[in-house]
Amino acid sequence: MKSWWVRRRRHDPERNAAEYVSGELPRRAIRWFEAHLLGCEECWHEVMLGRVGRAMAEEAREPLTRGLRDRVRAHVQVSGSAGHPRER
Amino acid sequence: MTSDQDSFLRATMGAMDLVYNLSRKLVRTREEAEDLTQETYLAAFRAWRQRRRPRRVEPWLATICLNLARSQYRSRSRRPKEVALAEGAESAGGEDPEGLAMAALDRDALHRAMWRLSDEQRVAITLVDLMGLSTADAARAMGTPRGTVLSRLHRGRRALAGLLGVSVMEAGR
Ligand SMILES: [Zn+2]
Repeated sequence: MKSWWVRRRRHDPERNAAEYVSGELPRRAIRWFEAHLLGCEECWHEVMLGRVGRAMAEEAREPLTRGLRDRVRAHVQVSGSAGHPRER
Repeated sequence: MTSDQDSFLRATMGAMDLVYNLSRKLVRTREEAEDLTQETYLAAFRAWRQRRRPRRVEPWLATICLNLARSQYRSRSRRPKEVALAEGAESAGGEDPEGLAMAALDRDALHRAMWRLSDEQRVAITLVDLMGLSTADAARAMGTPRGTVLSRLHRGRRALAGLLGVSVMEAGR
């Protein structure tokens, strides 16, 4: 017996692909959607494009610039010491 | 070091990489992104000292960073044009579309591609795909309904794929 939630699911390529690619579809909905993908070329393509776009975004991650960690730590320490007369 | 400083730094320093990457997608230059990261941490620390402490630091820092960017930096940055979805591009197809995508682009090119998205799409993608926030947390940070975030997220991903030349195949509709 399908849950109310799964029965409510329908062909909605944008929303389903967004949730599926983000790993946010509940397990039951995943089963429903993966079965749907086999017969729905539109949803299949949206998922493929979503996966490519997500992979690109993940790859755009940059390392911290040199010294930023120390700089922020120092500013927090100075800021936190304001009003503390025995600052070291 | 005070106990506030100590607890704040211990709780938040691990998220600096994420805050910096979010900043990089909110302002144009590395210098501005560094300044925005620093301001985010100082604003967060002020809140921390006032005992406004979050359960999870990443969404909290993201929200502070977004608000600061909106209030201080937006006017300085040129608003990019919305990217149209790929039209008439070749389909990459194949078994491993992500692999093809990565082989074709270096990180600078990806960064430039992300700046061709609308602000809303770029922020949604950065929060979810780059920072690893849930779409519910991203929605709270952006102050929009989750459905709107899902839409921006998918359209942004689609546009990025389109910039790469992966087409929306018209066949089979
Ligand atoms: Zn469908």
